[in-house]
Amino acid sequence: MKPEDVLAKVFGVPAREIDDRTSNRTLPAWDSLGHMTLIVELESTYAVSFSAEETLRMNDLGTIKRVLRERGATW
Amino acid sequence: MTSAHSSTEAAARALSALRERLARATRTGVGEAGAALALAHVDPAAALAWLRAEEGSARALPAEVLTPVLALLVDRMVGGGDRPAQELGELFWQNPESAEPETIERFLRQIPADAWDAPPIAALLDRTLTRAPVHAGILRLAAERAALAGRDADAHRLLTRLGRSDSSQATIHHIYRIRRALAAPEWPSVRVALLSSYTVDALVPYVDLELRALGLRPEIQVAPFNSWTQEMLAEDSDLARFSPEIALLAVSIDDLLPALASATPLSELEAVGEEAVGRVLFAAERFAARFSAVLVVTSFHSAYRSPAGVLETRGRTRAHWLNDLNQKLGDGLAALPRAYLLDLPDLLARRPAGPSELPKLRYLAGMRLGEHVMAEVARACARYVAPLKGLTRKCVVLDLDQTLWGGTVGEDGLEGIRLGGTSPGIEYQDFQRYLQSLTGRGILLTINSKNNYDDAIEVIRSHPGMILRESDFSAIRINWQPKAENLAAIAAELGLGVDQMVFLDDHPNERELMRQAFPRVLVPDLPHDPALYRSVVEVLPELQTLVVTEEDRGRREQYQVIRERNVAREQSKSLESYLESLAIEVEIQAADDGQIPRLLQLFQRTNQFNLTTRRFELGELATFAQDPAYRLLALRARDRFGDHGLVAAALVRKERAAWRIDSFLMSCRVIGYGVETAFLSAVAAEARREVPALIGEFVPTKKNAPAKDFYPRHGFVRSEPEAGRSAGDGSAAVELWRLELEPRSVPWPVWITVLKPAGQA
Repeated sequence: MKPEDVLAKVFGVPAREIDDRTSNRTLPAWDSLGHMTLIVELESTYAVSFSAEETLRMNDLGTIKRVLRERGATW
Repeated sequence: MTSAHSSTEAAARALSALRERLARATRTGVGEAGAALALAHVDPAAALAWLRAEEGSARALPAEVLTPVLALLVDRMVGGGDRPAQELGELFWQNPESAEPETIERFLRQIPADAWDAPPIAALLDRTLTRAPVHAGILRLAAERAALAGRDADAHRLLTRLGRSDSSQATIHHIYRIRRALAAPEWPSVRVALLSSYTVDALVPYVDLELRALGLRPEIQVAPFNSWTQEMLAEDSDLARFSPEIALLAVSIDDLLPALASATPLSELEAVGEEAVGRVLFAAERFAARFSAVLVVTSFHSAYRSPAGVLETRGRTRAHWLNDLNQKLGDGLAALPRAYLLDLPDLLARRPAGPSELPKLRYLAGMRLGEHVMAEVARACARYVAPLKGLTRKCVVLDLDQTLWGGTVGEDGLEGIRLGGTSPGIEYQDFQRYLQSLTGRGILLTINSKNNYDDAIEVIRSHPGMILRESDFSAIRINWQPKAENLAAIAAELGLGVDQMVFLDDHPNERELMRQAFPRVLVPDLPHDPALYRSVVEVLPELQTLVVTEEDRGRREQYQVIRERNVAREQSKSLESYLESLAIEVEIQAADDGQIPRLLQLFQRTNQFNLTTRRFELGELATFAQDPAYRLLALRARDRFGDHGLVAAALVRKERAAWRIDSFLMSCRVIGYGVETAFLSAVAAEARREVPALIGEFVPTKKNAPAKDFYPRHGFVRSEPEAGRSAGDGSAAVELWRLELEPRSVPWPVWITVLKPAGQA
């Protein structure tokens, strides 16, 4: 599953409307609770665990992909 | 430059070679696995054209080749406009065996949602759902499609199935989001308050899911973070304004006692632990005094292991200390009305998967429940809400072969069926033991089986492995009739509605037929593995009860009495002499505290002989019983076959000009004996001492036809609503019936004897 698909699943928007600039400012459903839901879903999809610092930084898809790559996740 | 040029040429040559090989494969009818896959990679449009080119070219490929080719095509043709989507859709439709649900899901996700309802796509989705009924991705698509098309009822049903297939926070929260965009269904509402020392906002969609699965429309209020004490104590709190019907109080011992993170010795924990329990109980007591709501308190669980590690695994441990605290909490709650302890450690142990919590979310957001734990907590909530809202079913209708024992008695014979102390066989015994326990809470067991009667009844009477025996069943239908007919006959025999029945059958076809015949019968899916039967039925909210009354414990015997009485009726010559032969005795008295739980059941569950169907709650009934402006009357009945217990109730408002019968209801198991006439006669006689007239209210419902002619039959005359009294409080449909009171306005049925209740003059 691609990170785009994870965002699509969590926030209920079509994956083709999501790109690396998609962020918590562009998606209304990406509020603080939505952010936690996203982190839970990313962690279970890619079998990784983010630190609190990473979690607080992952506010757009570009950053999310960067952090995922740093943690060795592939898709 | 040169090498790039030559490699392009080489690729072009390879491509045309691929096309050639495929063309040859088409002509000879032999699939070319590698070539098809390679072409899909380098030129998906050409591969698609080839697969569609001639009738059968796709079919010439074996499924294990076509499956990855189709999957690849979906990925390679992202957003390729409508034409490829249409063509791919047709390809999937023509090759159902080769299209995996995951591929179809990805395919449908890539085309615009407004194309989902187009005939080929819609049909493809429907067929995939039939093939993969619990596939979360497909269920989600189907639900979203139904929601977009405005088919709200379908959308709700599919969303509930989706929530059962995937309890990830992402999915459950998405379900909640879709539902909020749908028009509010006309389901009964229930007000639920969530109070906690930690963040429980993420729990709301889980609770919403489980309560909607019960056909309820939940209104859920979350108290602000860690404000549970103020909310429960303050007179003007949001909680007080919300007036919940049920509240969940989830307090973490780690929040109450931060010392648990440190190596605090047990000797110090003992005293502060008592204090922590005291804080929760104090709030619970105040809550119980102020609200008539049910209160469910989660027991304590600590996220921390003991810092002493193995040093503390001798003698008294933190675990012992925590158990003691939970025991004290449970004892304290048991002393309060309507308060229950939800065993959180037990729930954690039983969760099917996933971590109990994510420590990061605890530190970052104060969240203490993992996603699968939230699912379990919500299911536990539903088990309290169902009985609270009167959704408890009264009767379980059971299949026999493969349900109560393994195998088929008609084929395997008495000796051959699997039923005994070893597996296979012991699973069925354990299931039977659980079913038997249901009779202790007033739920009836019945049989509805396709078998030769003699074969099956022999097992029930004489198989040494049977736990349930003939006397455990209140009605038995073993024949070759359709099961829906049998179920209707059982309902009629027991005087129950089909919406009070649960049908348990191992056979999916029988379940589907029953759902089609009677959508209101609860038909849970029994799992394929009989070892799981018991655990599936154990957690059905619709078989839970919050209180057990004397009537519940004896209900099975009472229905046996009905069976005998029906025999007596057949033998009796005239109705009057039959009624006299029954020697019916009734006892009518003002309701006392001990009768309130049983009255609550009557008010919540009685549908047929119920004049106004007003569902009062526990607190309201207790208030009416004390209020001098009301008479809350209870009627007990017995006859020569046995004691029926408390079977009828009336709520009368003592107005100045005329007494008004607000509610009048009677269990259907005593319909037809004149008990209701006796009760009305007693009410009329009492009213006549104070007022000249009696007014009866009647609110027609879909179910209360048996009560429709009650007032006219007893001489009441239809009257218009009085001037100045608006039909407020939603009572537009209230019919008023008036009776001028004279001696013997309502004659007492001569065949019924009245008994003075013990302790009254």
